[in-house]
Amino acid sequence: MADGTPPPDPDGPAPVGPASAVRPFLVTAGRVAAGASGRSMPVETQVVATAEGLDALDRLAFEQHDIVAVCRLPQSIAEIAARLRLHLNVVRVLAEDLRAAGQLTVHVPDSGVVHDASVLRRVIDGLRAIPDARGVLRDSD
Amino acid sequence: MTATEPATGSPAARTAAVRPPLPVKLVISGGFGVGKTTAVGSISEIEPLTTEAAITEVAAGVDDLTHTPRKTTTTVAMDFGCITIDPTLKLYLFGTPGQERFGFMWDDIVEGAIGALVIVDTRRLDDCYAAVDYFEHKGIPFAVAVNAFDGHVEHTLEEVRWALDVSDGVPLVVFDARERGSVRDALLVVLELALARTQG
Repeated sequence: MADGTPPPDPDGPAPVGPASAVRPFLVTAGRVAAGASGRSMPVETQVVATAEGLDALDRLAFEQHDIVAVCRLPQSIAEIAARLRLHLNVVRVLAEDLRAAGQLTVHVPDSGVVHDASVLRRVIDGLRAIPDARGVLRDSD
Repeated sequence: MTATEPATGSPAARTAAVRPPLPVKLVISGGFGVGKTTAVGSISEIEPLTTEAAITEVAAGVDDLTHTPRKTTTTVAMDFGCITIDPTLKLYLFGTPGQERFGFMWDDIVEGAIGALVIVDTRRLDDCYAAVDYFEHKGIPFAVAVNAFDGHVEHTLEEVRWALDVSDGVPLVVFDARERGSVRDALLVVLELALARTQG
């Protein structure tokens, strides 16, 4: 690790490794996320490892292992892709596989939430509570 | 290995160890280098993350990838951040890739967004036309935020509104992408607009 491997982006929260040299769709055995007809998983879709998935970690390999491991805490599809340096659509395909195998739960947000006034008000109230200066919140870190 | 083998094709009803928050998202758009990532970074609780999304088809004829017609693959970088509103609600901020030719990638990001903030540099107004057109066409609530580089803007808001030809219903604000409070207030303008639409 100390030599040869370029350091990961210092700004990012420690990606697992450098970008894969493997073509993305080899990883998914040629499958792509969603067709023209189906709605693909939104980028903010939340993914969480199940107890079964965490138990099975030792038996999972490569990307599948990394995805389950990074989803100990809920992650969006976009965060998984960024942290593991995988293409968004690769994560979509593999997350669906892992969900079908019971190793992840995938929570696709209800598209109606955009028109839910109570949710919007909660976001507005939450944002309003953010102070001007960044330092103020960092004090509690 | 185990007796509990999930049937293929049926949804696996397993329990997650942790219940995830409800994710909602806003889109930060505008021309290349206009301050999208700066704005995300100013207010996100994490350093902006970058993910690469595969682009096939659309870039054909634009990127010269060793003359392979109909099978062009390239990637675009998409920056994003997030704000935990509370343990049950998380706001994501997604920046659109800067280039107009990646319009279809925006659909991937924008689908299900509460609204959008289109950032404008008054020295390069042309750069944001694509974004303004896009959100108007999609019917997604959006506001235009003039990024006050070096603390000043080259044109008045009236001039910008005239130049962009946006309707009076589109809020226009001046903000500083480097200032957290300023970004917060600009995002609040978008959210208030989205809220007003739910009640209209």
